Amino acid sequence: MSILFQGRATGATAVKQSLWNRFVMFWVHHLRQAMASLGEIWLTPASSLLTVAVLGVSLTLPVTLHLMVKNLQQVSSSVDQAAQISLFLKADTNETQIAELIALLQANPEVADVQFIDKSQALAEFTAESGFGDALSYIEDNPLPHVILVSPKNTSSVAASALLATLQQERYVELAKLDIGWLERLDAIVSLVRQVAIAVALLLIVAVLLVVGNTIRLMILNKKDEIEVMKLVGATNSYIQRPFLYTGIWLGFFGGILTFLIEEVLLWWLKQAIVSVTQLYESSFTLQPLSLAELGYLLLVAVGLGFVGSLLAVRRNISQIEATGL
Amino acid sequence: MLRFEQVTKSYSGGFVALDRVSFHLEKGEMAFLTGHSGAGKSTLLKLISLIERPTTGKVFINGVDLSRVSRGQVPYVRRDIGMIFQNHKLLMNHSVFDNVALPLVIEGFSGKDMIKRVHAALDKVGLLDKVRCLPHTLSGGEQQRVGIARAVVNRPPLLLADEPTGNLDPDLSKDIMNVFEAFNQVGVSVLIASHDLSLLARMRYRTLTLKNGRMINDGLTSYGADE
Repeated sequence: MSILFQGRATGATAVKQSLWNRFVMFWVHHLRQAMASLGEIWLTPASSLLTVAVLGVSLTLPVTLHLMVKNLQQVSSSVDQAAQISLFLKADTNETQIAELIALLQANPEVADVQFIDKSQALAEFTAESGFGDALSYIEDNPLPHVILVSPKNTSSVAASALLATLQQERYVELAKLDIGWLERLDAIVSLVRQVAIAVALLLIVAVLLVVGNTIRLMILNKKDEIEVMKLVGATNSYIQRPFLYTGIWLGFFGGILTFLIEEVLLWWLKQAIVSVTQLYESSFTLQPLSLAELGYLLLVAVGLGFVGSLLAVRRNISQIEATGL
Repeated sequence: MLRFEQVTKSYSGGFVALDRVSFHLEKGEMAFLTGHSGAGKSTLLKLISLIERPTTGKVFINGVDLSRVSRGQVPYVRRDIGMIFQNHKLLMNHSVFDNVALPLVIEGFSGKDMIKRVHAALDKVGLLDKVRCLPHTLSGGEQQRVGIARAVVNRPPLLLADEPTGNLDPDLSKDIMNVFEAFNQVGVSVLIASHDLSLLARMRYRTLTLKNGRMINDGLTSYGADE
């Protein structure tokens, strides 16, 4: 394309090339530039390493919080015992009424399981386990009510409380109780951690953009003379900025890899502590590491941040360098 | 080919670098631009290469009004003009080959075609054996010739040179001028800014003389007019 001289054949576009050939060359060209940028990073390892380190450490915090949320959610979903509803029946309920209620409960589509505990059975258990055996023998009547344990199908705290409210309305039920307090607290903590993770991630994303942008800005300033020469011989801004964009992408990529490595080391280090805690709770909890898909997202985000950070830097700085030339 | 019409360039602060300059360089013509330093030679070249824009007046290249060239089009205009600089403006940490190939790479050349053109350009300036050298291992005259090879590698119709012999001894200057003459003979328009009066006198080409921003002489016998 020549603006001044119509018909002047310039550039490779003037040479006839097939569409396929041009398509291949396009990618070859980009690959070459990407590799050139990689070499450039290799040439200035100190500043590049520093930037990659900042990136890696910055991204580690949100990723750690994400893993925390993921593992806490696993805990709250594995605990379905907690969402068991105890129905304490009225003292004057007779056996037919109880059988009627149990049949009703079993027919309820929201109920997974029904278990009846007779009051005399409950008293025997209580006498045996509580240590009040002697004192209880002085009481003539059994003070305990019949109890029906109901396991809801949907164990989420919202669904369980809804079921609790309806069961409370049953005719023979004196009191219905659901121990979801700690489950609710856990849910609240999980959502709090998630909120914190999002806030921290947003802040750190801004920090990462600034760090990458500043690194690229310094690289541009270091190459000011070279950029000037390129402008003098007719390089467009987009041509000049392309290697810097690739540099940003590489920085992001290596930052993401570093984050992954730090995360793995962190998990390995915490594993013992977590196992000993969960053993105390006799839980079948297993620590969930970063999945392959999550690693993919992490790298995608890191590369995206590197790209955007460098884009911000080149937009500002490259057009400002003017050929002073002559 | 190159036409100035009443071009004035003044900088903020009131300094007038060029004052109503008009001239016309024909297609295939070779001319010198001379005058003391500060007379406006560099400013004039900057207006052609769109490093600066005129305050008033118009510059035409091949009939195209440069004031109509947008900022984004400037790089494409520069690809049609071969520019040679007094301080060479080479990329010091790249080989001679890379330096000369730069305009071609920018235009998207690659492979054999590019290598062929780079070698042809280096051959014309007599530096084919230095293709793998880094610029700082070359002498001043050789560096200048690398600059010339880079300027002509994509065969521009117009060649501008700013003090191309500035730091060279007379013999080397003569060599460089011979290179320019050779390009001129194949139809390239050449404009050379120089204050080397003895060289101009020997070459006997059309000479445009600037003094304090005004064109005081436009003709063959410039050396007599300059003080």
